Amino acid sequence: MFRVIVKRLLTGVLVMWGAASLIFLIVRVAPGDPVTILLGTDASAEQIAELTASLGLDRPLLSQYLTYLTDVARLDFGRSYLLGQPAMPEVLERVPATAELMLTSTAIAVVVGLALGLLAGSRPGSIVDRIVSACTIALQSFPTFWVGIMLILAFALAFRMLPSAGAGTPAHLVLPSVTLALPFTAIVARLTRTSVAETMGEPYIQTARSKGLTERQVLAGHALRNSLIPVVTVVGLHMGGLMGGAVIVENVFAWPGLGSLIVDAVSNRDYAVVQAATFLIAGIVMLFNLVTDLVYSQLDPRIRLDGAV
Amino acid sequence: MRRSLAIVAVAALALSACTTTTGGTAGSGSTEVVVAGTYPIDSIDPHGPQGGGTGPQMAEQAIFSRLLRVKPDGTLEGDLATAWKSDPTASEWTFTLRQGVKFSDGKPVTAKDIVDSFKRFIDLKGTNSANFPGYTLASTSDTEVVLKAPKPDAAIPRKLAVFFVLPSGVTANDTAFFERPVGSGPFRLERFSPNEIVFVPNEHHYGGAPKVSKVTVRKMPELAARLTALRTGEVDIAWGIPDDQLPAVQGESSLTVQTVQSSAVFTMWFNSSIPALKEAAVRRALWQAIDFQTIIKQLYPQTGTPSEGVVSANTLGFVKQEPVRHDPAAAKAALTAAGFDFNQKLRLQFANAEFRPFNQAVVSELQKIGVQVDLLEKEQAVFTKDLLALNWDINFQQLSNPTLDAANTIGRLYPCAAKRNGYCNPQLDQLLAQAGASADEKERVRLYGEAARIIWQDAVGMFPMAVKHAYAWNKRLSGFTPDPNGLPSFAGLQVGS
Repeated sequence: MFRVIVKRLLTGVLVMWGAASLIFLIVRVAPGDPVTILLGTDASAEQIAELTASLGLDRPLLSQYLTYLTDVARLDFGRSYLLGQPAMPEVLERVPATAELMLTSTAIAVVVGLALGLLAGSRPGSIVDRIVSACTIALQSFPTFWVGIMLILAFALAFRMLPSAGAGTPAHLVLPSVTLALPFTAIVARLTRTSVAETMGEPYIQTARSKGLTERQVLAGHALRNSLIPVVTVVGLHMGGLMGGAVIVENVFAWPGLGSLIVDAVSNRDYAVVQAATFLIAGIVMLFNLVTDLVYSQLDPRIRLDGAV
Repeated sequence: MRRSLAIVAVAALALSACTTTTGGTAGSGSTEVVVAGTYPIDSIDPHGPQGGGTGPQMAEQAIFSRLLRVKPDGTLEGDLATAWKSDPTASEWTFTLRQGVKFSDGKPVTAKDIVDSFKRFIDLKGTNSANFPGYTLASTSDTEVVLKAPKPDAAIPRKLAVFFVLPSGVTANDTAFFERPVGSGPFRLERFSPNEIVFVPNEHHYGGAPKVSKVTVRKMPELAARLTALRTGEVDIAWGIPDDQLPAVQGESSLTVQTVQSSAVFTMWFNSSIPALKEAAVRRALWQAIDFQTIIKQLYPQTGTPSEGVVSANTLGFVKQEPVRHDPAAAKAALTAAGFDFNQKLRLQFANAEFRPFNQAVVSELQKIGVQVDLLEKEQAVFTKDLLALNWDINFQQLSNPTLDAANTIGRLYPCAAKRNGYCNPQLDQLLAQAGASADEKERVRLYGEAARIIWQDAVGMFPMAVKHAYAWNKRLSGFTPDPNGLPSFAGLQVGS
């Protein structure tokens, strides 16, 4: 196991190099540059040339890239053009808020999704199954920003139950985390439903029933564990998607996380922040994938990380 | 299963219990004021690269003082300066300093602080420092500083409204200082986080400490969240309310709603450097083809009025121009007479989705007379780059003028050397040079009026709409004055009357 983890981490270094290189290229290929944004529209040609040189943007791309890679190896992503501060600490400052949002959303999605999936999967074709299926399709179809705004109008404006935006109290977490969780809940519910419905037809479930176990004992003791395997995989692999959703949700709810920082940095062509944030997210997603594989192998002894089944 | 349901139930109960903390009005019963931040505030260094942004400026004017500032009515008032005068050439300006002013740490504000701040302002090359190329500031005594310009510049006093004074010795990227900044503005910074910025009164402020105990500016980029928070009382002040949302806000009995004339004018330049738009007759005809009055009535019933000039009516240098009458038949005839190629597609560029309906309406109006236009909505960074490269045929912008001085728009954007719209007119250049060099305010207004008449008649651009800002604030507040530039001061706020 240890050897496998080390091997995966070494592969991860290559993945991180790829991610860092790709984002370096993408931000520079994208039209628009930070110098124009920083100096505004009234700068003289001399001012533009001076700032371009001081930011190192006048150097050949390859030279910029080599310097960038050397700095990245030291986890130094340079200074944010706009904030005037080192980029990585600015990014790291926002991580706890995004982590709080993502973990809460994941918890909601897993708990509610599993409950709904079990409910529907244990009685395939029933009215409950149909209602759950219809709801989950709807939840997956609604755009996140629209759901967010609807929740604000309902729970903040109409019922006056929750704050409309911001952070600071547990109440502030409710609407953004529910908004972010809803499509994910639908995925978990649908997957659990299918998995449970399939498992319930397995011979060992029939054996369990014939031994006189109640339906609840069969579900909890036998069907659930096997049904969890694909769910765990999806939860782990969906972290990247959840991060993308967080970018939108954080902007709707003024949540002070990584998402809103990235949006501002991209629109202002703040290369250092975009690069630092993307690198960090790539690392987090990679770690989640590794953890998912480890958990997966523990849940299903037939799966071995070294590839042997 | 039972366990899962139990967890969900507990979570639901816990979350509903949380609602009691923020369900009511945020500031009711207290002297704290919460403001819905319309613009991002990423930095409070007034001399840094972000210092010139609208959001940072709103924060900076709370913490720091300036030599002079522009009042909401467009007139100038002294802040750290009590009097100012120029030499006859308007290239040397002397400012008499207010005595007894202290920073928030109790130390006196000196001429050296002002001179060193100006040096830092220029050295750090923030966006606003571009207005002072080659300018120097020196103190002649403890009570006087002199600003020298390399050439006559009558707009200096208003330009200085974006120059903020810090204590001497603050270095570039001085993180420690800006974590607990010391300024001589009406407020002190209590907290600055990515989500909100909190000010408390500066007890040492020369004008007396503000009457509110705390002002929190909360970042709320999403309009629905901002307006909901305003209506539920979570925030006390918001602005930038669009027309389609205004009736709902006006229906709230707890709110005062006011629209104020801003300094902004919808400006649609023609690229006069391309053959199709080289002739003034063609540009005028295109303007004439568009029914701006109806578009404004439909899209901006409360926050737009047909513009009467190149700059807003509250700007120094405004002179009313003859309205351009909508006449599509005459427009088409004029275009045909001028040999306009109706097969050519013009590129209309703009940034910001907020302006999409307006530009779509313009395209539609031009299509009615057979003029084809490609509407190009661009990201801000791309828009700015293309704007400077003249990579467009018609350019839409909402041009604001924080100094409320025509020098900042007419004087800056329309000389040949500015190369902003492909238009070059030596007569206009001469007028602008005279206006910029005249220390006589009446003469400046006359000269800018003459210049504006040329710009208007030659249809360097279309100037369809003067913009109003819609503000709404809780009736529990008094002393709030909406600002034409979206930079309201919170110094005079009081809770209750």
